[in-house]
This record gives sequence, C-alpha cells and structure tokens, in this order.
Amino acid sequence: MAEKAIEAKKKGQKKSSEDYTYVGMVFHRLTRHKLAMVGAFMLILILLFVFVGPLVWRADPNAQIEGIEGLFNVPSSAHPMGTDDYGRDVLARMFFGGRISLFIGFISAITSTIVGAVVGLAAGYYGGWADNILMRFTDAMLSIPTFPLLIALASVIGKGVGQIILVIVVFGWMVDARLVRGLTLSLKEQEYVEAARAIGASANRIMWRHLFPNTLAVLIVSTTIGIGGAIIYEASISFLGFGVQAPFASWGNMLQNAQQFIWNSPRLIIYPGLAIFMTVLGFNFFGDGLRDAIDPKLKL
Amino acid sequence: MRDYIVRRVLGMIPLILIVMIVSFGIFSLVPNPFAALIENPRIKKSDIQRLIKAWGFDLPWYLRFFKWFGGVIRGDWGPSLLYPGSLARDIIARALPVTVRLMGIELLVSLAVALPIGIISAVKQYSVTDYVVTVFSFLGMSMPSFWLGLMMMMLFSVVLKRPDGMTPLLPAGGIITPGLEDASFWVKFGDRAQYLVLPVFVLSFISIGGWARYMRSSMLEVVRQDYIRTARAKGAPERLVINKHALRNAMIPIVTLIALSVPGIVGGAAITETIFNIPGMGSLIIQAEIKSDYPTAMIGLMLASVLVIVFNLVADIVYAWIDPRIKYS
Repeated sequence: MAEKAIEAKKKGQKKSSEDYTYVGMVFHRLTRHKLAMVGAFMLILILLFVFVGPLVWRADPNAQIEGIEGLFNVPSSAHPMGTDDYGRDVLARMFFGGRISLFIGFISAITSTIVGAVVGLAAGYYGGWADNILMRFTDAMLSIPTFPLLIALASVIGKGVGQIILVIVVFGWMVDARLVRGLTLSLKEQEYVEAARAIGASANRIMWRHLFPNTLAVLIVSTTIGIGGAIIYEASISFLGFGVQAPFASWGNMLQNAQQFIWNSPRLIIYPGLAIFMTVLGFNFFGDGLRDAIDPKLKL
Repeated sequence: MRDYIVRRVLGMIPLILIVMIVSFGIFSLVPNPFAALIENPRIKKSDIQRLIKAWGFDLPWYLRFFKWFGGVIRGDWGPSLLYPGSLARDIIARALPVTVRLMGIELLVSLAVALPIGIISAVKQYSVTDYVVTVFSFLGMSMPSFWLGLMMMMLFSVVLKRPDGMTPLLPAGGIITPGLEDASFWVKFGDRAQYLVLPVFVLSFISIGGWARYMRSSMLEVVRQDYIRTARAKGAPERLVINKHALRNAMIPIVTLIALSVPGIVGGAAITETIFNIPGMGSLIIQAEIKSDYPTAMIGLMLASVLVIVFNLVADIVYAWIDPRIKYS
C-alpha cells in the first residue's frame, strides 16, 4: 500500500531536476521563486508602460503650453498626470524619460560588466605582474568615494546620454573585475583548460572560449542587479543637475527642479520617483531570484 | 602576523598614490575657475594672471599635481577657493563633525534595527516574518535616497503640523534652529535631535536592508554547522544555542563589514546632505568640485579614500583576531 502510494507519487511528479538542461533547470527554479516572478511582472509592466504607452497616449513630451495657465496643471483628461513647470505633459515625459533611463541602465550595466570581465580575465589568466598592476588599480578605484568623482566627471564631459553612460561605466566595472578574476583563478586550474593549452590554443582563445562562458552565469546576475544601480546613479546625477539635459526627459532629470515645487506640486516628485523605485525594485527582485536559480550558494 | 601587517602597510603607499593621481586627474578636467573672471571688467587682467599663476592653473595638470603634492607633504593643503580667505583644511574641519554626527548615528540606528531582524529572519527561515523582512530589505535597497528624502520632507514638514497648527512637525532642513547656537547644552541637544530625525531615518531605511540580509545569510550559514546540531543534541536550550553558539560565530563577518563601513562615517552622504541642507562632508565635496575648489575637494576625497584603505587592513586584522581559524602569513 505504502509502496504503491510512493509509486503513484513518483509518476505524478512531472520531471526531476535531472531531466532538464542547465538553462531549463535555471528557468524552472526561477519560475518557482515568488519574488523573482513579482519582479519580472513589475518589469513587464514598466516596459509596457514605456514602449506601448506612447502609442496609446500620443502627446509630444516637449510641447509647452503657452501662458501661465498651462503650468502646474492638476491631472485632467487633457493631461492625465498634469503638466510640469514648463507646461509640458507629464505623462508623455514619463514615457520618454523612462526609455532614456532604462537605456542608460541597460547599456551602462552591460558595458561595465564587459570591461570588468576583460580586466578580471586578463588579471586572473596571466597572473604575475599583470595581475598585480590590474588589481592594485582596481583596489584604488574601489577605495575612491565614487559619487563625488562621478559628479565631477559628469560636470565636465557633458550632459549627453553617451557621456552619462561613460561616467557610470568608469566607476562601475571594479566589482565585476574582482568577481571574474576570482572565478578565473579557480577555473584555469581545471583539466579542460590544461587540455586546451596542450592542443595549442592561444591565450585569447582560452580566455574567451573556455573561461569566459563559465563566468557568464555569474555575470548575468551581476548585470541584472547592476541595471538597477545604474538607473539610480543616472537619477542621482540628473537630480543634482549634471545628467541628461533638456529638452530630453529622463526620470532623473524630471526630479531635478521638482524639489523647488515640493510645496505646491508634489505630483512632480511622486511620479518619476515611484517609476525609478519600482524599476529598481523589479531588477533587484529578479536578480536575486536569478542568483538563487543559478547557484543558491553564490554570494554576490 | 607582524610581517603581514608591515607588508600590507607598505602596500598602501602605491594605492594611496594611485588614488591621489586619479582623483586629481579628474578634478583637473573641471574648468579653470579664474578664466571666467576675464568677463568682469572691474578686475585687472594682470591680477587674473597673477591668480592663475599662484594657483598653478598655468601649468599642465600633472605639474600642478606635483605643486599640490609638494605642499601636502609639508602639511600645507592649500587655501579654499570656495570660501576665499579660509584654509581648505579649516573648511573641512568645520564640515567633519556635522557628518560624523549624522553618519555615526545612522550606522548605530541601522545596526540596532538590522541585526536583530536579520537574526530573527534566519532563525525562522521561510516564515512570514522572514518574507516580510526580505521584502522590506529589498524596498530599502531599491529606494533612491533623494526620493525617499523628498517624500519624508513632504510628509513631515509640509503635510503634518504640530498641535499649534502652524509649524511643521519636523524641520525640513538644516542642523539647528537659528539663534539657538548659544543656548544651554540640553536645549541644543533637543533641537539638533529634531533636525536629525528625517535624514537619519532616510539613510537608515536604505542601509538596513543590506545589513539585515548580510546578518541573515551569515546566521543561516552557521546554524547549518555540525557543532550547532551537537549543541542541540546535548540538550542546550534553543535560546542558548542561538545566542551563544551560533550568534558569536555569525557575527565574525559582520564585525568585518562594520569595520569596512566606518570610512563612510567621514565621507558623508552627498545626496541626503544636499536635500536636507546639512553642511557636511558629502555636500561640501560636491560644491567644492563644482566650483573648481580642488584643494578642499581633494582633502575630503583623500580623507575618505585613505580611511577606506586603512580600514580594509583593520577589517582583515580584526577578522584574524576574532576568528582563530584565520592565519595570515
């Protein structure tokens, strides 16, 4: 009787973890992670808002309504989120600002990871003086208080989207470099690397074809979490007035002048801030679930 | 151990040099503050030239670095450009206690809240409490500080009023009510405390999540160990097992992290200080660099970076000291 029950239970089980490929297994674990699914749901909503929104609500984000009665309008059917201090439609600016904020977040997180991976692979693989120089430089960059220098650099090199990404990358690659170096140090001792070297593979080939793919899982997690961090950086730079410049909107620069209007028009603070908060939260939830799915023991 | 410390201290020298050169190099990109003076017809051209020469802005940045560095070695950090007539050193000395007070209280509050909830959520893993703590940790970690600051300011300084219906519940910014600077100690203490509530709350809310998660994962690591099972098996009460056997070991990495976060007490929090109009290190450094006041900004940055480097070593030594399994050679 008991045995039959166990049999039945076994048959009832859909698949054991051995039936999955690695990616399938990660996906399977991810879908069972509640917070990761909440995060994914939030991110889908945000992406829909930002990309489908402008197709539904066709307003020009930069059109200013003439005259004083166009400024600081409360939400109405003509302007669902009201108008800002220049009489521009806040909802339209939320759509286009979101695109820019997300774009900066994605590109700077991915670029930082690539730079970090290159430094970490080189330091870990070559070892010796190359490792010494690269890692001392990484240590030095990690000891500098990032934020003040980020502001200094942003105030100098200009206020375009590309420049902001560059600034975030300059101060964003160090943690990934350390991570990849650590992984490379242990990976390069494995037999398959020895075998690759034995058949005469070049250093470049070993690094990019054999070592890099094995660090990819960890790097994907760190990039996912990094996107949230980059969005906050962009917003902080823009908040202090050194970010993306008008007429382009970003969630960060929508908050730039908002502090002055805290007394009479708090909406201007609430909407963009909430959007940033929800997006970063989504990436953090999803990234955390992804890390658990890839390797529950991993510490990032 | 002594050799290890000597080697590490020697290793700090190139690190500090790199930090100096990188920071100085980035500041050198900020435009020459005197170039703008040419627009002013009341200032003589020759005076501007003299200023530029005195400040070393006629030299390329790497030569200016040596000029600055030569002064630093002799203990002369230069005058401030942001506050003409004062030494950069004195400007920093004025901002330092403000930031240390704010960030020190923030660290204590965060630890006092985060460590207990981290322990509880580890001991009751996957309970409702654990989920609530986890979600709140993520909320804090994802919160942009300027937004939380503005929202809190809106709630406590605009919407909510004191019983008299006129004054806001908490002041919106600053560090002390004007005119109270010479009041008695306790009056000043109470007044300053009101100004600290909002910024400390904002900063703690953001950092509590991280601390709680560290504490939780460190505790989870320990409670899986064999010696904890042994302690339970010999009949030690659960309270004792957690508080004595598990906690003391779980605290080892946390103590290291605390040592690593001490430098932040000096560096300040630029955004929060700016929003709440607190004249601390964070906002001072930002202002100084915008106005090309590199002597002041460099002291601030060097102080913060050198402390990071020193406390990295302190953390490693503390780690070896409290955990006899760690040996450096």
